[in-house]
Formats: sequence, structure tokens, C-alpha cells
Amino acid sequence: MVDRFHEELKKLKEEVIQMGELAKGMLYDSIEALKEQDVELAERVISRKKRLADMDAEIEEKSLQLIALYHPMAKDMRTLGCILKVITYLNRIGRYGKDIANIAKELSDKPHIAKLVEIPYMAELVCKMIDDALKAFETEDISLIKDFSERDDSLDALRWSIFRECITYMMEDQKNITRCAYYIMIARYLERCGDHACKIAEKIHFMVTGERIEIK
Amino acid sequence: MKEYAIETKDLKIYYGKKEVIKGINLRIPKNTIFAIMGPSGCGKSTLLRSFNRLLELNKDAKIEGEVLIFGKNIYGEDVDPISIRREVGMVFQYPNPFPHLTVYDNIAIGLKLNNLVKSKEEMDKRVRWALEKASLWDEVKDRLYEYPASLSGGQKQRLVIARALALKPKILLMDEPTANIDPVGTKNIEKLLFELKKDYTIVLVTHEPAQAARTSDFVGFLYLGKLIEVGPTKYIFEKPKNELTEKYLTGSLV
Repeated sequence: MVDRFHEELKKLKEEVIQMGELAKGMLYDSIEALKEQDVELAERVISRKKRLADMDAEIEEKSLQLIALYHPMAKDMRTLGCILKVITYLNRIGRYGKDIANIAKELSDKPHIAKLVEIPYMAELVCKMIDDALKAFETEDISLIKDFSERDDSLDALRWSIFRECITYMMEDQKNITRCAYYIMIARYLERCGDHACKIAEKIHFMVTGERIEIK
Repeated sequence: MKEYAIETKDLKIYYGKKEVIKGINLRIPKNTIFAIMGPSGCGKSTLLRSFNRLLELNKDAKIEGEVLIFGKNIYGEDVDPISIRREVGMVFQYPNPFPHLTVYDNIAIGLKLNNLVKSKEEMDKRVRWALEKASLWDEVKDRLYEYPASLSGGQKQRLVIARALALKPKILLMDEPTANIDPVGTKNIEKLLFELKKDYTIVLVTHEPAQAARTSDFVGFLYLGKLIEVGPTKYIFEKPKNELTEKYLTGSLV
């Protein structure tokens, strides 16, 4: 027998996963729009911002209702605590997608420098981390997030490598400055998204085990 | 060695041949609220009744092991159960003031029967003190000579608590004291418990985990006569160590 609370909680978890897919999709598509210089796709990413904010508010509201009505305890409470934190991180990730989509519009007129340096590769790594975090949230399989610390380190390294490479292009030709400055910003956004994925992983670990960890 | 308000050593309780409490070692610190929670029939009330020898009124019950109240084994040979019950008061699930006695006499009777008071003035003082302690004085000071039937459920229960307090016990045992009280009455009693723990040690039996969470400092989870987990309330309700506790709190214990 599944009781009403656990049925509601299951539905809410599904909504969190949907919100996660939305946020990740915004990030992924913003990079596609940047690569393909597809202004229309960039616009579509930007327009998804409202749905993302609505989901954030809806899930928060439903979580608070479940707490008020059912007084959950132990793992049930940890799950709701996790949800309330995770939706904030997901919202941020989606909004970085929107920011990158805005840059994609700006940079759609001229060809990219050095094929966008390592930005697409970095984005791929970040999206995979978000994917694994969402899967861990869904299945409670925390082995999916055990190497997040190392994966976050590679994102940091990539960010600085992009930074250094962009500096050399800027020194070569000052016409590259605007474009490369944007690349550096995007690398920074992606690195922040990786940090958010790590925070999500920490919350999932606490939800599943009751034990707090810090992913550095 | 630290002295505890209540300490049990390998406590086992049988009803006839059936073992209902299966070897419990428990320590309850002074001036705390200790909640015993668990599903119906797990032995909560039985355990509670062994703390003031109320259990032996049941002829089938047999007790092994020790119960120490402030370091003294209450099942020792030279111990008078009546004096134990004075030291360790009990409040039950149904508010049970004496219906044929006025509010005043409900408090006074225990003092009279035990010859604890010498004069009318002293009696007035003790009655008022007990009612004040139970946060009931302001509500009944003009109705002292009315019968308890005119009180609300929550007021009746506080009257019973005042009656127990009048004998100046050191420990109060409460067996689901708010099970039959409405939310306002429950809130008042829970507020009162918090006040009382400054002077008393309170052991509270509840089948409602939320109440244990709201009121207690420590919780013991009792299941099928065994003490599964004991710990500070905030840890037990957020991240219990034992899987059975986890299941009980999330409603998935079969």
C-alpha cells in the first residue's frame, strides 16, 4: 500500500527531475545556439526562463504544503529539505543557460575564434554532471556522484586553460577582445554550473544517507 | 558515577510466560523530558508502569532486573511501593480527576490522606502552589469549589497533573497525556511540560512521534519490547541511525 504522503512525495520528486531536465536543456541548448550561431534557438532558451521560475515556485509551494500537512520525519524530511535546496541550484543553472543564450545572440554575426576554444567540451562535462546528479536523485544511487570532486577539478582546470588561451588571442589582435571576453565569461558560468551540480550532489548524499559531505 | 533520575539494568517484564520487555538498559538524566515512542503494543506503557511499581498491581506481571530511581533499586526488599509512587507520580491518558470532589479537594485529598499538611492555611497554600505549577490557577481560582465536570478536557488533565505535583514528586510519568485533549489543550500541556522540567524529570509515553519531537529532549524508540534506539530528539528525528527507527518515522514499518 502506498500512502498519500509518499505518493505526493513521489510526484514531487518527478517534478524536480522535470525541472532539472528543463534547466539542463537550457544550458545545453544555449551552447548549441552559440556553436551554430542560431539566434532562433537562443531566443527559445531565453523564453524558457519563465517556465523555470514557475516550476521553482510551484515545487517550493508543494514542499511547504507537504511539510505542513504531513509533518514528515527522518528520510522523508531530508528528501523535502533536499528538494527545497536543489530547485534553487537548478534555477541558477537554467539562468546561466539564459545568460549564455544572450551572449550567443551577440556573437552570431561573425565566425568564432578557434572553434570556441574548449567551451563545448566543458559544457559537455557539466551537462553530464547535472545528468548524473539528477539520476542519483531519482534512483538514490550515490555511486553516480562519488567522483564529482575530481570532475569539478577538471572543470576548474578547463576554465583557466580557456582563460589563458583567450588572453593570447586578445594579445594577438585587439579585434578579438570582445569575443574572447565573452568566452571567458561563459567559461566562468559553466564552472559555476559545475559547482551547483556539486552542491546538488551533496544534498542528495545527505538525503540518502543522513550524512553530510563536502565536495571540494 | 553520574546519578540518573531513572536507570534500568537488564529489565525484563513478563505477563505470565510472555516476555513483553526484553532486557532494557536505559538511563534518563535529571530535569529532562524523555519520550518513549513506538507502535501500539510495543510495551511502552508496561515499561512506564515499572518505573513506579504500578505494574505489580497486575498479578500476572513478573519483573526481572533492576529499576533505579536516583540510584536506588525500587524493587529492593525494604522498599515501600507507596512511597515510591509518591516520589514517582503518574498521569494517565484519560483525565481522571475524582468526579465527586471539588477542584480544591482533588488536590487536597492526597495531602490529607498522607497527613502531609497540618493547618487549613498550609493546605490553601499547597493547593494554590500545585495549581500554579500546573498553570491552572488563573483559570480556576474563582471555581475552586466547583466539580471537575465543569472543566474542559485540557483543564481536567492539568488538574490531574496538579494533583500529582501536590505530593511533590521528583519524577512524573505520563502515559499519552494528550491523547484525548484538543489541540489548544495539548499546546497548553506541552508548554507546561517544558516549564515543569526545570524541577522534575518527565517520562512521556506517546504513539505520536510529532509530540515526542515537539516536547522531548531525548527519545527512546521501543519496538516489540526492545529498545531499538535512544538519542537526542533532534538527531533521532532528522537522521536516525537504526533502519527500524527510520521506517517507523517514515510510516513504512510493517
